[in-house]
Amino acid sequence: MRTEAQESWLAWSQRLGGGYQDFHAFDLSAPTRVLEWIGDKGVFIAGYESLKKNEILHLMLPPRLSVKENQGLFPERDFKVSHGGFSDRAILELKHVPDTRLLVTSGLPGCYLRLWHITEDSDVIKAVSTISVQEKAGDLWPRLAVFSMVPRVLHGVQLSSLQVVDLESWKTTYSSGVTDSEELSNLQVLDGDTFAFCCTSGRLGLVDTRQPWAPLENPSPSPGSGGQRWCAEVKDRGQGPGPCFSSLCTDGQLCLLDARDLFHPVSSVQCPVTTPSPDPELLRVTWAPGLDNCLAVSGFDGTVQVYDVTSWEGMGSQVKPLFTHRGHIFLDESKGDTAPLVTTHTWHPCKPRTLLSSASDASLHVWDWVDPRPSC
Amino acid sequence: MPEIRVTPLGAGQDVGRSCILVSIAGKNVMLDCGMHMGFNDDRRFPDFSYITQNGRLTDFLDCVIISHFHLDHCGALPYFSEMVGYDGPIYMTHPTQAICPILLEDYRKIAVDKKGEANFFTSQMIKDCMKKVVAVHLHQTVQVDDELEIKAYYAGHVLGAAMFQIKVGSESVVYTGDYNMTPDRHLGAAWIDKCRPNLLITESTYATTIRDSKRCRERDFLKKVHETVERGGKVLIPVFALGRAQELCILLETFWERMNLKVPIYFSTGLTEKANHYYKLFITWTNQKIRKTFVQRNMFEFKHIKAFDRAFADNPGPMVVFATPGMLHAGQSLQIFRKWAGNEKNMGTVGHKILSGQRKLEMEGRQVLEVKMQVEYMSFSAHADAKGIMQLVGQAEPESVLLVHGEAKKMGFLRQKIEQELRVSCYMPANGETVTLPTSPSIPVGISLGLLKREMAQGLLPEAKKPRLLHGTLIMKDSNFRLVSSEQALKELGLAEHQLRFTCRVHLQDTRKEQEMALRVYSHLKRLLPTLRTQVPRCCWCPGPTRMRNWGASLPHCSRRVSPRPLSGHTTHPGLWLCLATVPTRTWALTSAL
Repeated sequence: MRTEAQESWLAWSQRLGGGYQDFHAFDLSAPTRVLEWIGDKGVFIAGYESLKKNEILHLMLPPRLSVKENQGLFPERDFKVSHGGFSDRAILELKHVPDTRLLVTSGLPGCYLRLWHITEDSDVIKAVSTISVQEKAGDLWPRLAVFSMVPRVLHGVQLSSLQVVDLESWKTTYSSGVTDSEELSNLQVLDGDTFAFCCTSGRLGLVDTRQPWAPLENPSPSPGSGGQRWCAEVKDRGQGPGPCFSSLCTDGQLCLLDARDLFHPVSSVQCPVTTPSPDPELLRVTWAPGLDNCLAVSGFDGTVQVYDVTSWEGMGSQVKPLFTHRGHIFLDESKGDTAPLVTTHTWHPCKPRTLLSSASDASLHVWDWVDPRPSC
Repeated sequence: MPEIRVTPLGAGQDVGRSCILVSIAGKNVMLDCGMHMGFNDDRRFPDFSYITQNGRLTDFLDCVIISHFHLDHCGALPYFSEMVGYDGPIYMTHPTQAICPILLEDYRKIAVDKKGEANFFTSQMIKDCMKKVVAVHLHQTVQVDDELEIKAYYAGHVLGAAMFQIKVGSESVVYTGDYNMTPDRHLGAAWIDKCRPNLLITESTYATTIRDSKRCRERDFLKKVHETVERGGKVLIPVFALGRAQELCILLETFWERMNLKVPIYFSTGLTEKANHYYKLFITWTNQKIRKTFVQRNMFEFKHIKAFDRAFADNPGPMVVFATPGMLHAGQSLQIFRKWAGNEKNMGTVGHKILSGQRKLEMEGRQVLEVKMQVEYMSFSAHADAKGIMQLVGQAEPESVLLVHGEAKKMGFLRQKIEQELRVSCYMPANGETVTLPTSPSIPVGISLGLLKREMAQGLLPEAKKPRLLHGTLIMKDSNFRLVSSEQALKELGLAEHQLRFTCRVHLQDTRKEQEMALRVYSHLKRLLPTLRTQVPRCCWCPGPTRMRNWGASLPHCSRRVSPRPLSGHTTHPGLWLCLATVPTRTWALTSAL
């Protein structure tokens, strides 16, 4: 039977203001740290346990979530496993190569890339090849991003090992060529020739692969108290005006930067999060593809926070989230001592206020939040 | 024949009718006898000609087992027993026995009376069929005959649903029917003990799904109901009389309390009667928690839920009504539906045609009803998903798993998962395809104490996971198997021990000294033949002149005895012994003693 806390949360979620339009909660057999879209109807998830076989699953969204309005009558609220594969290593990064049936993954142990093929006549995801990209670098693994036009993968553990590799020939088509061993935390492809990188130190850069290494970048922010770590995300081009870089720090700082002047952030705020974050590697900040100036933040605890950055300015102001998803905490079945941590989240590519979030207790939520502000 | 054969006659990659034929150690059992709801002709019945082309079904089948009352598992039973012809026992649980005939009659009425179908079973046939039913209790071992026994396990899913273990000697098969691994308010989760059957047959319809949590489904349901009554509309919830209705009532009652709602909720009378009738059955099939709740209060003494009167349907204002039948095809639910369908403010949760999107329905007398009310289809039925299937297989620990209800192409991953994670083979036959499982039935053998003690005296402790080689003689007498030492066997049988020796002469041309050669041959052979005994008696290493004997006649002569002496306390162990002797022409002899 439900506890008091769970009962009251559900009752609260009935109310429209601050509530959910739609909410689905699933229990996976293992937690995932990746949520990668394939089209707008499917996502990939993968296990990250170190000592056992992990599964990569291609999940089809419940039909309910695929239709614009509830035109059809779909009782199905379940995810369907459309394809699955096995990996003997933990998977920490997974990218789908657009317009292909290929996936690229990386993880631990070792610094390697693995290419997978989603077979057509069966439901199995087969590992096609594995290449080692550099010497083992402790607990680090290559970050990934994929180019679409010509299938290429951008990968790197540190700035020095940043490379672009062609997926058919496995030839390196671009290298940073630097000796800088700063650790990378994010890589993001922006178009056929440019990509962005973010280092754990907070150093950001935009790179044009048509030229030898000459990134447009900012200097690393002044080192704060030890253990700080940054991650970032760049808005998609054509997503509206305003700063396009957002970078997030484990101390709760969120900076907005404009690509034209990475030296001077447009604004920087302090998010109300528990610090220090228990697992700095889980930090994630994402821009909403369907809304202007909204972003989501997770990785500090069991919540996902949505912010509207429109009126942000100046440095150091305290901000409040527009919406906080607390589902992972309230529906936590594990009764363990540690509350679950949100491992990753992603926005639905078409439905503007729908997000997917997963947590360390193997829960996967799909939620559609209601904007609490009165519409003007 | 120590093999198990399984043939799905329906199910097996076809979601629709379940009907599986199992042949186990010469006994033939039919599991479920379902109707395919999607067809209107003979295709809705399983193809019984697979069972036997000629000859009576009663002679061929030892029994029929029905897992639960859903029509896709029991719908073809009267057709099978009365029109095709079967007079043997039909096993099912008590609630299934009580509810089956009602659903069958309901279905018959619609097929024949409403749709005018011919070649359908009659009411009398349903009654005659049910006379052949033998009801069983959970965990009760039922002897079908002196070799075949069956046992029912709790399956969750619906009232009275069971999983069955079918056992003949040391071979067994478990059939799950439909089951559910997550408990809900009124039904517990399926459970089975570590019975380690040779084969587990399980449905896999939902194997590739990851289910939305119950709380979210309920939340959605409550939200829709609440929104409708808030704007003054009426909510019609067609349900089957059993189980699920109680669950939703409890849910609504709790919600009404919390939200302090005053909108009336009604139960149609047909529902109340049926529910009370099955109250007794119902209560023993629920879990402890529910039993306590129902003991505290009568099932229908809800604060906010009252009995329905037809006239209320015309009352203005919001209300919620639970009505039967669930598929909205007749009776009270249909009547109410007609009244409320024209109003957009109303909402119904409902069945078939409407589900497929039709908004204009043809009623009796050619009346056309335009459906303006909102319709939501909420599925609360409980099936096992991928996680649940893995759990159940983990509980029962079968040697192999057979999946029914899935599409082969879409099951490659699940099959791999089961085979890898649970280390069992996984089969997925199509309809009409027979899967044959070889089994290795275990034969119990008694071991003599003396033999056992002697083995223990060798010093090594027995290990459960490491098989050890034991030498002895198997005596089969009067369907009794005993393993005794060879001397014991000889004594009992009054035989004398014989020793046979085989000798092989090998010529080796080499300039090295005999001793060195002897060592080389010995180590070479030792490497190749790991079982080569090391107890080579020293006397065999003697160089010196010998006389050649006839090949194979006996051992080459040596100035000392060459044959290995029996070592104290052991009979001569069979195997390869190396006895080396030198002869002027450097002949080496290899002796094998049997």
